[in-house]
Amino acid sequence: MSRTSHRTPPTGSRRALKKETTKSRIVAAALALFQVKGFDATTTKAIARKARVAEGTVFNYFPTKEDIALHFMEQEVEHAMATVRADVRLRKAPIEEKLFALVQTQLEFLAPHERFIGAAFVQALRPGSKLGLFSPSAQELQFHYLAFVQELVDEAIRRGELSAAGWWTPHVFWIYYLGILLYWLHDTSPGKQQTLAFLDRSLSIGVAVLRQR
Amino acid sequence: MRRMSVNTKSPNGGARPLTSAAAGLTGKVVGSMLQRLFPTTSATGRALRLAGLTAGVTGSYAGYTLQRLFLGVEGRDRKRRSTHAKAGRQIRDELQLLRGPVMKLGQALSLHTDLVPEEVLAELTKLQMEAPGMHPSLALAQFKASLGRSPEEVFTRFDAEPFAAASLGQVHRAVMRDGTCAAVKIQYPGIRAAIENDFRLVRNLSLPVQASGHLPKLVLDEMESQIVAETDYVREADHIEFFHAGLKPLDFVVVPEVYRDWSTDRILTMSVVPGQHLDAFLAKHPSQRLRDLVGSRLLELFNFQVLILETLHADPHWGNYLFNDDGTIGLIDFGCVKRFGSAFVGWLRKGVLYPGRFDSPQFKQIVQKQFGSPGERLTPGAWRVITDFSERFYRKVYPPDPKEAERPFDFSDPGFLRDFLRAAGKLTRAKVSIPEYVFLTRAEMGLYTTLHRLKARVHTSAIVRRLLTASRKEDGSSRRP
Repeated sequence: MSRTSHRTPPTGSRRALKKETTKSRIVAAALALFQVKGFDATTTKAIARKARVAEGTVFNYFPTKEDIALHFMEQEVEHAMATVRADVRLRKAPIEEKLFALVQTQLEFLAPHERFIGAAFVQALRPGSKLGLFSPSAQELQFHYLAFVQELVDEAIRRGELSAAGWWTPHVFWIYYLGILLYWLHDTSPGKQQTLAFLDRSLSIGVAVLRQR
Repeated sequence: MRRMSVNTKSPNGGARPLTSAAAGLTGKVVGSMLQRLFPTTSATGRALRLAGLTAGVTGSYAGYTLQRLFLGVEGRDRKRRSTHAKAGRQIRDELQLLRGPVMKLGQALSLHTDLVPEEVLAELTKLQMEAPGMHPSLALAQFKASLGRSPEEVFTRFDAEPFAAASLGQVHRAVMRDGTCAAVKIQYPGIRAAIENDFRLVRNLSLPVQASGHLPKLVLDEMESQIVAETDYVREADHIEFFHAGLKPLDFVVVPEVYRDWSTDRILTMSVVPGQHLDAFLAKHPSQRLRDLVGSRLLELFNFQVLILETLHADPHWGNYLFNDDGTIGLIDFGCVKRFGSAFVGWLRKGVLYPGRFDSPQFKQIVQKQFGSPGERLTPGAWRVITDFSERFYRKVYPPDPKEAERPFDFSDPGFLRDFLRAAGKLTRAKVSIPEYVFLTRAEMGLYTTLHRLKARVHTSAIVRRLLTASRKEDGSSRRP
């Protein structure tokens, strides 16, 4: 009997778990470096060193730094959607509060990585960027997010909160969200309370406009 | 937000006369457009919304004025009431939306029972307890942004729905880790910036009255600094602790206790003060004895603050007092506190039960010191108004003769309130508007309005005399924060 035959072979789930742990370590290391050194100045070598993995392992999981950023944004969107879905109190809340909770949860998720978010914005404007408007991966994430917004709007229509909403409503919301993100990045008020006020009042007005249609 | 309807039908279903409909319509359309187009966050937006409100209300009244020509006496009265009520609702809705100092102004107006039509007053009064709240998600976000922890991490229980509203924030119930019930006041985000914008606007709009001297810049500065100071809950916590200690001799007053660990400049966690607001208290038809007791205590509380503490809880609207069946009074909302100079209070003590003639040199000196700005003599007009005020109001309500003072003063008589409001108005017109006086009159107006609503009978002079004796024994300045 060989020595290895005594070891329990790794099951599919254990392997997946190990992979997930490594992936999380790489993302955490990258985000910490993006925040301190900046997105451009961070190298994959430095990420590998901080995550205590080989540089090749980083490439196995994420071919580019932009893929790490995209993965983080997927996490942000999934987290916000799951939070809103899981909140029992929010089920009966009006649409403006649900949208507020969605954006606010996203901003809270992003808060520790503010510097990186600013850099990601600039990065997204570069031609061919995977974070850009025309990148298939970014678009997929955007549509996933907007489908959830549409879900909230449809529910509001079913409940009689809104009479109708155009096909463009989620797309306008996307532009609005990007605007809020920029406002938040530039907000120097304590606890970013200007963003809270702006988010609350602008959503009230936006929903009031939809109600009047 | 309530929207204005552009309905051109008269209440009895007939068509309005064309001219009046047009007049009302123009104001309403302009107002409605401005209100719809501009949000409340920017200075311009707030200014234009205010302009929209004015245009809308003016439109309602212009329409009513023209319709009067075509309506009978009964119809005219009905129309007048409905116009007042509609304007009142509209003003209340807009002030609630704008919040900040403009809403404070509405609250101050609601104390002017004599100046504002009954129907408008009914709506403005609601401002005190029915300010629109932040939805739970916003309140929770503001709590977390300010304290760095969510309410669930701090308290055993936290009610996401508020139980009370304030003009600058709202109050939630919570249970602390040790089981103590607490009231958590959370401030609307960005309120300070909104206040600064409003004052910029008020300063610009009030240039004519500032130039005429009826609204001195000094008074506006004082108002702004007080209202901006109200946004700092750390300062409010200091005030609560000051009153908690200072009002100990009055065992019928309940002042909350501050929990500093769970308070910041935008969050104020304190103990719960028991009691009901005046309307709820009166709805239970309290006995005359209880109303007299509560009235006497309110008057004592007011004069104790001015004459002994030299510091006044200067936000006197009814929402800030809580009444109990055992006669105890709860004080809440310590945002607006005015500290008077010792010299000002010194002259006030000399003047309050002044027994002599009002044309005596001694009284003249008291008045000059109390109301005159340093280095400036009071005008003859101001003299006349102050003497008239003392004669017609203070001597009647606070008779200096101890024999006469044996009878309690009956505050149920509406005449005294009318005299007070008329005299206070004349003082403003005579340009006697020193900052101390503005706060004192505002607080007095709140006190007398409450005493009137209580229909209380109070031994006014006896209470003041007792406090004057106590103030001679105490050094007031040693009690100041």
